Amino acid sequence: MIQIPTIDWGVLMPTIIVFVTGIIGLLVEMFRPKQNNNLIVGLSLAGLAAAFVLLLGQLGAEPTTTIANMVFRDQLAVLLQLVMLGATALCFLFSEGYLRQRRIAFGEFYPLALWSLGGAMIMVGTQNLLMLFVGLEVLSIALYCLSGMARGDQRSEESALKYFLLGAFASAFLLYGIAFIYGASGTLDLEGFKIALYATDSTFVMAVFAIALMLVGLGFKAALVPFHQWTPDVYQGAPTNVTAFMSIISKVAAMGALIRVLTAADALQNFWFPALTGIAIATMTIGNLVALVQKDVKRALGYSSVAHAGYLLVGILAHLKMPVEIPLASVVFYFVTYTAMTIGAFAMISITAKDGKEGTRTQDLNGMWRKAPYAAGVLFICLISLIGVPPTGGFFGKLAIFNDALAAGLPVLAITLAVNSVISTFYYWQIAKAAFVDDEPALQTDFAHLNPGLKLTGAICVIGVVGIAFMATPLINAGSTAGRDTMSVIQLEPDVQDTPAIAAPMPTEVNQEVR
Amino acid sequence: MEQELFKNIWWVLALPVFGFLIQAFAGKIVIDNLGPKLGRQVMGGIAVLPIAAAFALAAQMTIALAKIPSGERSIILTLFEWITVGNLSIPFEVRVDALSMTMVLIITGIGSLIHLYATGYMAEEPDFPRFFTYLNLFVAAMLILVLGNNLALLFLGWEGVGVCSYLLIGFWYKDKANSFASNKAFIVNRVGDWGLTLGMFTLAFMAAVVLGKDGAEPRWLSYDVLLPNAARIASEFNPWVLTTACILLFIGAMGKSAQFPLYIWLPDAMAGPTPVSALIHAATMVTSGVFLLNRMSEFFALSPTAGAVVAIFGAITALLGALIAFGQTDIKKVLAYSTVSQLGYMFIACGVGAYWVGLFHVATHAFFKALLFLGSGAVIHAMAHNQDMRNYGKLLKYLPITGATMLVGWMAIAGLPFMSGAFSKEEILIESFASTLTWYGLPIGQIVFGVALLVAVLTALYMSRMTYMTFFSGDERWRLIPAHAHGDHGHDHHHDDHHHEDHAHDDHHGPDVHGFFYTDAEMADRAALTPHEHHHDLDESHEPHEVPPTMFIPLVVLAALSVIGGGWLFFGVNLADWLHSAGVVVHHHEAPKSIMYFVQKTLAKPIFWGATAAFAIGVFGGWFIYGKKLPEDDGMDTSKWKAWRKAAANHFGIDKAFTQGSIKGGNAIGILSWKVDKSLVDGIVNGLGTITAGFGNLFRMFQTGFVRGYATIMQVGIAALIVYFVYAITTTGGGN
Repeated sequence: MIQIPTIDWGVLMPTIIVFVTGIIGLLVEMFRPKQNNNLIVGLSLAGLAAAFVLLLGQLGAEPTTTIANMVFRDQLAVLLQLVMLGATALCFLFSEGYLRQRRIAFGEFYPLALWSLGGAMIMVGTQNLLMLFVGLEVLSIALYCLSGMARGDQRSEESALKYFLLGAFASAFLLYGIAFIYGASGTLDLEGFKIALYATDSTFVMAVFAIALMLVGLGFKAALVPFHQWTPDVYQGAPTNVTAFMSIISKVAAMGALIRVLTAADALQNFWFPALTGIAIATMTIGNLVALVQKDVKRALGYSSVAHAGYLLVGILAHLKMPVEIPLASVVFYFVTYTAMTIGAFAMISITAKDGKEGTRTQDLNGMWRKAPYAAGVLFICLISLIGVPPTGGFFGKLAIFNDALAAGLPVLAITLAVNSVISTFYYWQIAKAAFVDDEPALQTDFAHLNPGLKLTGAICVIGVVGIAFMATPLINAGSTAGRDTMSVIQLEPDVQDTPAIAAPMPTEVNQEVR
Repeated sequence: MEQELFKNIWWVLALPVFGFLIQAFAGKIVIDNLGPKLGRQVMGGIAVLPIAAAFALAAQMTIALAKIPSGERSIILTLFEWITVGNLSIPFEVRVDALSMTMVLIITGIGSLIHLYATGYMAEEPDFPRFFTYLNLFVAAMLILVLGNNLALLFLGWEGVGVCSYLLIGFWYKDKANSFASNKAFIVNRVGDWGLTLGMFTLAFMAAVVLGKDGAEPRWLSYDVLLPNAARIASEFNPWVLTTACILLFIGAMGKSAQFPLYIWLPDAMAGPTPVSALIHAATMVTSGVFLLNRMSEFFALSPTAGAVVAIFGAITALLGALIAFGQTDIKKVLAYSTVSQLGYMFIACGVGAYWVGLFHVATHAFFKALLFLGSGAVIHAMAHNQDMRNYGKLLKYLPITGATMLVGWMAIAGLPFMSGAFSKEEILIESFASTLTWYGLPIGQIVFGVALLVAVLTALYMSRMTYMTFFSGDERWRLIPAHAHGDHGHDHHHDDHHHEDHAHDDHHGPDVHGFFYTDAEMADRAALTPHEHHHDLDESHEPHEVPPTMFIPLVVLAALSVIGGGWLFFGVNLADWLHSAGVVVHHHEAPKSIMYFVQKTLAKPIFWGATAAFAIGVFGGWFIYGKKLPEDDGMDTSKWKAWRKAAANHFGIDKAFTQGSIKGGNAIGILSWKVDKSLVDGIVNGLGTITAGFGNLFRMFQTGFVRGYATIMQVGIAALIVYFVYAITTTGGGN
């Protein structure tokens, strides 16, 4: 007799809406009037808005699980899902104009992106590793298709294939890691995994390997060094709107999943913490250094996104070191600013596409400030925020993470972050300079017309980048409970806290030391 | 019930803001729909209304305030939490007390009169709503400045009025001289603001050490917490700290209140429309420095050195302004330098510790100087925008109302006994003479008294010069200008000519050192794009006409105030007591039996006669020189001028010295720092850049572009990770 689990539809509804909107979009696409996707865009935006509103209502709600612990809703999940919904909406706003200019005006973009988003929402909203894997695959497969969407463009095709091959490679590791976890703890549930880690020490070698393997899979999606190498190629090759989309969604989802897995594995902190510290340092440094010598804007921004993954990892590590004292507020704040400034920059660069051609080399931006002053202005603001110049959101975000790192006793990471911010100035500045000079012969003869959607995207991003300093308090407050719920759910297990077994195995000594 | 009434202060603040918003967003629409004439009348009415309503509310509140016992006469109302940092809280709060309400009444009262006047003066202006947008915004900012209950809000208002002043001086921005004047005002005020901010930070630092430490009251930057603790704060530090803070605050006041050497922007600021000159650059904004010193008098009173500095700079300014006024032929320039001189007077009073007298002079000066400016505007309006007094003469016949009211203003500023100016001027003389302020053994009070008495004579004299040249003296001299002679004389319609007749032809000496935004060629192109409106120029055929009622009604009201305002404030209000209730330090309150008080009582009479003598010398001496005709020393041909007058016309070279000095000096510093930057900083930065880029290239080598390469790198990464974990497990002895 199969028992039907109780279902909390409220928790599921945002994700369901996103998937269903995608399906409706696909149906509309079949019957659409030729070369006009406006209806699909409108529907998609409406769906995103509905999901957004529903999620807003769940802010601050009690953590809960549903469908037999398959779906988990806590503050962190809600916040990350909100960020992703907003990012997707921003991408959709400028996508239509861009796709028409690139002559790839296929309506499939919207359903695919929505499903990808749905997968990402599942990823951050679960404690179950199988769900996590399913979410990751839904996210990834749609992204592979999206990268190759510019069918006439060789680079786009190439990037899709590369992304797919390497992604499959990484997924295999993730799956392998999940299998190890199952082997170690006999459960696919992260909560169960955590309890098992405390309860027994016999399988912890397996668990350590499991974490190592999962790091590969998630690190690939989050573009952490040394699993980042797909990033520049795919960012450059994929259509710009897809690049903007994946730079946020893929990163947020992977980071969210990483937080969950590492929180569950905090008994093993002594093992993975130094490794991740090394990864964070390498990610920040290599991302920024290689970006310095890039000649292509999208590629440089690809490396920039690698570097920003490093900054985010610093914030996450600070939280994991002191889960109670340091909430994930800084990380959530950084996600929001990162979304605004990255999408703003990509959206403005998208105007280099006109009449089926696109030039994204740095010098292609020359003369932008004369021909498209609005775009040049928005790009400039987004870039100085990416550098981290006050009073932009990028500055406050980095400052918050820097402070967290110091408070958590991670001065090396904090200093690396600060030094890297300085290094990053050079290449961001090169991009900004390119947009504001016109003495060199501009190869790009003209820029695309700024359609209202693009202007709106730019305006929202600028408001987000500049205005976030003024609404920091509510955001920080909302984020201050993020990540703590996961802790409490697990720590409230009565017989776990006090069992002597905790103190017995080696890893927990570490654990005590950390606390 | 009482509290309910005082909540209206938010309306006083909000009304000008509403006016500003309406003008900004609806102005153009209304005028486009109703047509220029009716539209401007409607929008003009809408511009005056909020200011007048604010005045009515403020008057009602002030009457209620006066009924409260003087000890409790300051009401603090908080709108919202503004800035909260650590244990410091700076709310958006206002302080309704005698000092702030006095300023509010001046701002809204004179402000509404000038708004009314401006509706007539600007009636032909195509950009009508923009003017009133700025003007309403100015009133709002000024109200924040005086009503705020902490230095942060004062600063907010301070910068707000600065911006409005900049926008209004450059209101006719197509004229290059106006743009330059507004830039000059803004840049010179930066110097003052540098002092103000540093002074504020110093005070905040001192307060943080003393009050912030307590932790009991988070609002330790609010006046009601800060000022009563002034002595305690000061006692914790070396006296020089407080003196430095006070002098820095005074530097801020110098900028905004046009004190030597930062006065140079104010005369140029007269390039703006005349109502602006009257409201902002004579009656309200320029007195905010005096307001600041009154507000901070608890601190200033503790530092005799700061007081001496204030008094000395005030005296220099008063004398310099009065002397330069003699070399000016432009009617508005005369008034501008007169304002500079009178502001110096106010600071003399503040310097010798008679803060309330400084504010007293603010009030009376607001009456008569606003009157004189508006009157001069009416004259300029009637004389086809020609501002050269040497082209006037016998205008009383043509402009009876304007003329009569201006004569009242003249009497008031010159100090005819029992007119408003006489009262405040006399108080300044008494207070400075009776002052016990000494500095390094110098009797500062008595020295500045001497200067002030001399300036009183000079004031009466140059004001008589202006009045006789304009309304009396010989002939109707504009009849001498031949018709259709489009020379340089009639050309400067809107602005007053920055350069005087002797070098009116070389408008731009050398390369365009001021050209911040446009080259001359570009300016010419821009000018060519806009259709040039041709004004009727002043020549022999011109017949002056009296101005419309919207313009002369304010004149009449201000004239009445100039007559009775001083006596009313002195006897009726007892301004010293009134302001003392707001925390302004008043000496004879602290020590009614002191020597000074005694001296003051006994000397009141002789000084009254002295001031009256100064008035008589000025007025009759002026009649002797200018009464019959224009003397050659002051005629059209500047080469026949006496050397001292030529020097005065050139501002004794001070303006040029400072302007050129700072531009050249700034240029030199700029070039120097550029060279340092180029060689040293760039060297380091580029070196680092090359090194880091080298690393970048190194890492890029791994980015082969082949999937197999990437997969290999990933493999290596995974291998390294696993090797590390194995190492970690074995070293920590894990599985055993």
